[in-house]
Amino acid sequence: MELDYSIVLGKMPLLLEGCLVTLQVSTVALLFGMILGVIGALCRLSNNPILKTAAFFYVWIIRGTPFLVQLFILYFGLPQLGIRLDSMMAGILGLALNTGAYITEIIRSGIQAVDKGQAEAAVSLGMSYGLAMRRIIGPQAVKICIPPLVNQFIMTLKNSSITSLVTITELVRSGDQIISTTFRSFEVYTAVALLYLVLNSIFMVIAGRLEKRTARQ
Amino acid sequence: MNNYILELVGLHKSFGDIEVLKDFNLNIVEGEKVVIIGPSGSGKSTVLRCVNYLEPIQSGSIFFQRKNMWSKSDLQRLRMNIGMVFQRFNLFPHMTVLENVMEAPVMVKKIARQEASELALSLLERVGLAEKKDSYPKELSGGQQQRVAIARALAMKPKIMLFDEPTSALDPELVEEVLLVMKELAHEGMTMIVVTHEMDFAREVGDRVLFMDKGQIIEEGTPHAIFNLPRQERTISFLRRISHRAFC
Ligand SMILES: Nc1ncnc2c1ncn2[C@@H]1O[C@H](COP(=O)(O)OP(=O)(O)OP(=O)(O)O)[C@@H](O)[C@H]1O
Ligand SMILES: [Mg+2]
Repeated sequence: MELDYSIVLGKMPLLLEGCLVTLQVSTVALLFGMILGVIGALCRLSNNPILKTAAFFYVWIIRGTPFLVQLFILYFGLPQLGIRLDSMMAGILGLALNTGAYITEIIRSGIQAVDKGQAEAAVSLGMSYGLAMRRIIGPQAVKICIPPLVNQFIMTLKNSSITSLVTITELVRSGDQIISTTFRSFEVYTAVALLYLVLNSIFMVIAGRLEKRTARQ
Repeated sequence: MNNYILELVGLHKSFGDIEVLKDFNLNIVEGEKVVIIGPSGSGKSTVLRCVNYLEPIQSGSIFFQRKNMWSKSDLQRLRMNIGMVFQRFNLFPHMTVLENVMEAPVMVKKIARQEASELALSLLERVGLAEKKDSYPKELSGGQQQRVAIARALAMKPKIMLFDEPTSALDPELVEEVLLVMKELAHEGMTMIVVTHEMDFAREVGDRVLFMDKGQIIEEGTPHAIFNLPRQERTISFLRRISHRAFC
């Protein structure tokens, strides 16, 4: 059989719609994942044993179980307990919880990688813990965190494809739907791959700029 | 009534099972310059770090201007009144020299930026680095960085300055410029506690030299008494060791 990409071009609007959903799911999940990650990291580093333990268990459970299983628990499992999430909710929540655990670890190790002397200098000038975190430790930790965070953002964008299995019509599922009518797996999946590559490349370029900007100091 | 600006009374400090300070007592009058010497691991840094609670103490009291410092608000007041200069400078690498000096006055004391910037510039002038105000710390030599660190501490207008081996991370040719700034500060009447092995500095500005070993003050006196007429065996052997090193 010959390859015929004109079919894919004809279905481009559908694929682009899928792209949009992928972007939407990923960015919303990343937004909440970042918030979770910052809170998680601060809990992991706090002196409060309850917060510390809670954050530890969160990271331990998420990192130790497959994302697919986490999603299935949220989407297929919870209804049994009377909690019904629509597919979009379950997908975004699952992805946010998942990426949040990894971001927790990235931020925690970023903060810990900042020289202890920095906090001591800040505190000895009369700064409170919060102020030292915000003005002195935070900005330095951010710089350390950027490369692993970019990596995590890329992983999240790609992992969003798994939400197709809880019936979110993101890029992969849009592709599946096109294949079910056209039977053009090769063309459609390569087109899908190309679109992921484009999305991630935009991302990497932005990240690269950001890194260069913070590198001056 | 005494006129001590700082009193350390019966400090005990341990790390786990290791007792680093044992019933440590030290009274300092306003304007006094105390130099602490002693072998590595004797607890010199720990004394300074306990004074502004960078290390929590197990027991004992710290009085600043005759007031016992123990509550959270006292702690902040204590730290604002005690400037600390570290062996490794600890400048904020993401801020320019000027921003380093302005940071605490603006963020902690809430001084207007304009005023803080003028204050910072005058302090940088004083340590001879006004023209470096827009550089980042990594663009400066070690000696310059340490002078900025001193300016940064002075910006909070502290009543006491603590120096923890301020010149021991520096190349030999950069030591003098930092000591010069410290000597000026001493002549202006600042109360200072300095951990250093720079004997000439100790002789010139020190009112009192303490020799510490194993978490205790073994011997104390004027620089002349300690360096020329030490009485304790441990002091004598320590001084012999470091003077040997200086001549090698
Ligand atoms: N954070 C810490 N945890 C455990 N032990 C520590 C800690 N900090 C210091 N110590 C121990 O406390 C003792 C005193 O240390 P300190 O740093 O006060 O010595 P020092 O006199 O300043 O020595 P140096 O001349 O090497 O700087 C040492 O035995 C050291 O190993
Ligand atoms: Mg020390």
